[in-house]
Amino acid sequence: MWHITKREIYDNLNSLRFALTTVLLLALMLTNAIVHLREHPNRVEKYNKAVTAYQNRLASYANESLYLLAQQGPGDLHKKPSPLHFCAEGGDSFLSGTVNAGDPFGYSEDMTGVWKLSYPSVTPNLENVRPDAIKLDWGFIIGYVLSLVALLFTFDIISGERERGTLRLMLANAIPRHTVLIGKFLGALISVSIPFMLSVLMNLLVISTASNLHLNAEAWGRLGIIFFISILYMSLFLVLGLLVSTRVRQSAVSLVVLLLVWVTLVVFMPNTLASMTGEFSPSMLSGEFWKRYRQLHQELDEKYEDRVWTDESDTKTLTARSEYFAKHAALDERLNEDRLSLQIDQFRHARSIIRVSPVTIVQHLLESFAGTGFERHLQFVENTQRYALQFREFIVDADRADPESLHLIGVREGMSEKPVSPKSVPKFEDTLNLNEDFNTTAMELLLLVLFVMVLMSAAYLAFVRVEV
Amino acid sequence: MLMTLIRRELLDNLMTFRFAAAVFITLLLVVANTVVLLKDYEQRLTAYNTATQESYQKLREERVYSRYAMDLIVHRPPNPLSIFNLGLDKQVGNEIAVYHAFVPTIWDAVKHGADNPFLNLFTSIDIVLVFQGVLSLLALIFAYDALAGERERGTLRLVLTHPIQRGHILLAKYISAMLCLLVPLLISLLLSIILLTTSTTISLHADDFLRIGGIVLTSLLYVSLFYLIGLCISAMTRRTSTALMLCMFVWGVLVLVYPNLILTAVDIVPQPNTQISAYHQIKQMWEELNREKKLFLRNDTVLGPLSRNGEDWGFRLKGGEYSFLRDEDKPSTLLYFYQSGFYAGKIKAESEPHVPLVQNYYGFHNREIVSTVNRTWLVRKPALEAIYVQPANLGQMLLKFSPVGLYDAATEAWAGTDLEGIQDFFSTVQRYRRAVVDYFYDKKIFESRQWFAADEGTADWDALPQFAFHRSDTDINAKRALPDMLLLLTMNVILFTVIMLIFIKSEV
Repeated sequence: MWHITKREIYDNLNSLRFALTTVLLLALMLTNAIVHLREHPNRVEKYNKAVTAYQNRLASYANESLYLLAQQGPGDLHKKPSPLHFCAEGGDSFLSGTVNAGDPFGYSEDMTGVWKLSYPSVTPNLENVRPDAIKLDWGFIIGYVLSLVALLFTFDIISGERERGTLRLMLANAIPRHTVLIGKFLGALISVSIPFMLSVLMNLLVISTASNLHLNAEAWGRLGIIFFISILYMSLFLVLGLLVSTRVRQSAVSLVVLLLVWVTLVVFMPNTLASMTGEFSPSMLSGEFWKRYRQLHQELDEKYEDRVWTDESDTKTLTARSEYFAKHAALDERLNEDRLSLQIDQFRHARSIIRVSPVTIVQHLLESFAGTGFERHLQFVENTQRYALQFREFIVDADRADPESLHLIGVREGMSEKPVSPKSVPKFEDTLNLNEDFNTTAMELLLLVLFVMVLMSAAYLAFVRVEV
Repeated sequence: MLMTLIRRELLDNLMTFRFAAAVFITLLLVVANTVVLLKDYEQRLTAYNTATQESYQKLREERVYSRYAMDLIVHRPPNPLSIFNLGLDKQVGNEIAVYHAFVPTIWDAVKHGADNPFLNLFTSIDIVLVFQGVLSLLALIFAYDALAGERERGTLRLVLTHPIQRGHILLAKYISAMLCLLVPLLISLLLSIILLTTSTTISLHADDFLRIGGIVLTSLLYVSLFYLIGLCISAMTRRTSTALMLCMFVWGVLVLVYPNLILTAVDIVPQPNTQISAYHQIKQMWEELNREKKLFLRNDTVLGPLSRNGEDWGFRLKGGEYSFLRDEDKPSTLLYFYQSGFYAGKIKAESEPHVPLVQNYYGFHNREIVSTVNRTWLVRKPALEAIYVQPANLGQMLLKFSPVGLYDAATEAWAGTDLEGIQDFFSTVQRYRRAVVDYFYDKKIFESRQWFAADEGTADWDALPQFAFHRSDTDINAKRALPDMLLLLTMNVILFTVIMLIFIKSEV
C-alpha cells in the first residue's frame, strides 16, 4: 500500500496542478494574513476603548449613588473580538457588537424608570453601495478553493489509470483492491495537504510574528481543531472525486461531472435553499411588534395610572412606583427578547436546511471554533443576559446592606443613595467557552464525518465491483 | 466547406454527455432560482404597496403644514428586472422622507418591510450569478479539448491535409460551440421569462424586453470570452488533461478568487479623512442658523420678544397643544439638522396679535433653513462621494480586470439596479423636494397660519405636487452598459486574434 501512496505522491509533486495549487493557496493565505494584520489591531483597539468607556461610566455612577446605578444600568455591553477572526469572518459585520443594558424610559427626573436589555441590530448594507464580496477568510479558502483543488487532484485518479491501462497492470499483482483504493486516497490526501499545510504555516507565521497580536494556548488549540476539520472536509471531496473517477470511464467526463456537482453543492445550493426557507418561514414584522408593544404598555399604564402619577410620596406610592418601573422594564425586556428569539428561530430554520451542503457545514464549524459568527453571537447574548441577572442581584444585595433604605428599587426616596465602591460592582466580561462550542457543533461535526463515511463506502463498493 | 466543418463540430458537441449535463444543470438552477426570486419580488412589491398606502393616509391625517416633516414619505418600488441582476436593488434603503431641512440621498433612506436583520447573513442569488458561474464553466468545458483533443487523436493532421484555411477551422469550432452554448442560455431564459409572465404581480413593458435582450447579448459576449480563453489554452497545450487542468485553475481564479481577493484587498486601503471635517462644517452652519434664529426671536420689539430663551416652541401663544421635534444627527452619513415646530388647535383671542409675528418668524426661518441646506449640500455632496461612491467605484473598476466584473456591471446597468440606476430614483426625490419647496414658496405656505394652526383652514395635501418615479429609458440603460460591453467585445476580438496567430504558427 505504501508503494502506491508513494508513487501517487511522486506523480503529483511534479505536476502542474501541484505548482498551481501551491501558488494559489499561498497567495490567498498571505493576503488573508496581511488583511488580518491590518484590521485586527483596529478592532481590538475599538473594543478596548469601548470597554474603558463602559467601566468609566459604571464607576462614575457607582461613586454617585446606588440609586443611579440601579436606574441607569451597566450601559452598552460589548462583544469581544475573536483573535481567530482570520479563520472565519462569519458575517460579523451583520451581527451587532453590542447589547444595550441601560436606556431607562423617563418622563422627568423623578419619574425615570429602570434600565433594560435591548438588542440593537446593525444594517451596514444600507449605507454600503460597494459590490458584494465574500470575505477572504479561511472559511472561503477551505470551503471553496480547497474543495475545488481536491477535485482537481482526484478526478483522474482511477479513470486516468484505466485510460492509460496501468490499472489493469496494478490489479494483476496480488494486492487487494481496498489496499489500492486506500493507498490512492492517502496519496492524494498527502499531496493536497502539502500545499495546504505550507500555506497555513506561512499564514500563521506572518500572523504570529506581529507583536501586537497574541495567540494564546487556547487559540492554538482551536486552530488545531480547525485544521483537523479542514482535513476532514478535504477528504470528503477527495473521496467524492475517487467515487466519480471509479464510476466514469473517461477522466474528462469525470471532471465535468465533478465540477457540475461541485458548482451545485458548493456555490448554489446554500444560497438558493437559504433564501427559499428564509422567504417562506414566518416572522414577526416590525409593524406587528410595535402594535403589540403599544397595546401591552397601554394595559400596564392603565393598571398603575392612578397609583403612580400622584404628587404624594408616601410608602404606598413609592411601592407602586417601584413595582411599575420594574414591570415596565421587564415588559420591554420580554418583548425585545421575544422578537430576538423569533428572528433567531427563523434564521436557525434556514440554516439547518442548508446543512445539506458540506460547504456550509464546514463554514459553520469554522465559525464556531474561531469564535465568530452566529453561534458566537448567541453565546454573547446569553452572556449579557446572565450578567444582567447578576447585576440586578448585586443591586438588591447592596441595597439590603443599607439599613436606611426602604428597599424599593428604582425610586429615589425608596433606595439607598450612598455611593458604592466601583470595585464591588460586577463587571461584564465576554468569554468564549470551548465546551459549549463542541456542544453546538457536535451535530455538524457528526454530519461531516457521516458524509465522509458514506462516500467512502460508496467508493469502496464501486471500486470492488468495477471491471477493468 | 465551412458548413461541413460546422456541421461536424455541432454534431460532435451535441451528442456528448457534457452537453446534456450542461443543459440540465443550467435549467435546474435557473428555474429554481427564478421561483425563489419571483417570490421575493412579490413580497417586496406587497411591502412597497402597503408602505405607500400607509404613508398616503398618514399624511392626510395631519392638519397643519409643518407636520409634513414627519409624514411626507416616498417609497422606491422594487425593480422587476432585479430578478436578472439583483445589484443594489434589495440592499439599499427604499423609504425616504421629503423635507426642506435636508437633501435626500441614498444614505438617508431606510427600509420598509425588512424585519429580520439576521437574514442579511445569507447572500442573495440571481440569474446572472447562475450564468456567471455555470455558463463560464460550460464554455471552458466545451473548449478545452477543441484543439488539444484533435491534436491528441491525430484528426487535426487529417483535417489540415485538406485544402482548408486554418482560420476556417477555428471559425467553425467557434460558431458551433457558441451555438451549443446558446441552447442552455436561451432555454433557461425562456423558461424564466415564461415564469415571469405567468405571475400576476409582475408586469413587464416592451422596454423591459429590450433590456432583457441587452442582458442576453451581454451574456453571449461573456460566454464567448470564456470559450475563447479555453480555446487559447487548448491551442497552447499539447495534452487535453493539461488543458483541462489549466482551464479549471483559470476559472477558479477569474470567477472565484480574483473578485473576492481584490475586494478584500481594497478594504484595507485607508479611507480619506474628509468625513469628520465635513461633518463639523455642516454642524457649524446649522449652529450659525440657530444663533440667527435666537437673535431674531429675542429682538422682536413690536410686542416684546417672541420667546425669552430663544427657543421656538410654544411662543406666547395661548392654544398651542403640543410641540414636536424633527432632527437627525448622524456623523457617518454627514446628516445634521434640527427643527422644532408646534401644533395649535385653536388660538385664543388674546394671542391673536402675536399670530402675524409667528407667521413672519416661520417665513423667515424656513427661508433661512432652505438656504442653509443649499450651502451644506455643497459640502455634503462631495464628501459623500468621497466616502461612499469613490471606494465603490474603485472596487467596481478593479473588478473589471476579470470578465466576471464586466459582465456583472453591464447586466446591472441593463437591469437598472446599478448605483446609477438607484441614484436615478434619489435624484427624482431631490427634484420632488425642490418642487415641494417651490410650491410652499409660491403659495406662501411657510408664512401661512396653516403652518402651525388648524383653526382657520387646514392643510390641503391634495394640492401638493405628486411624486412619480419612472425608471430611466432603455437608451440610457444602453448608454451605461455599452462601455463594459465594448470592453468585453474588444477582449473577444483580441483573444480570437491571439488564438489565430498561435494556431497558424503551431506545428501539428
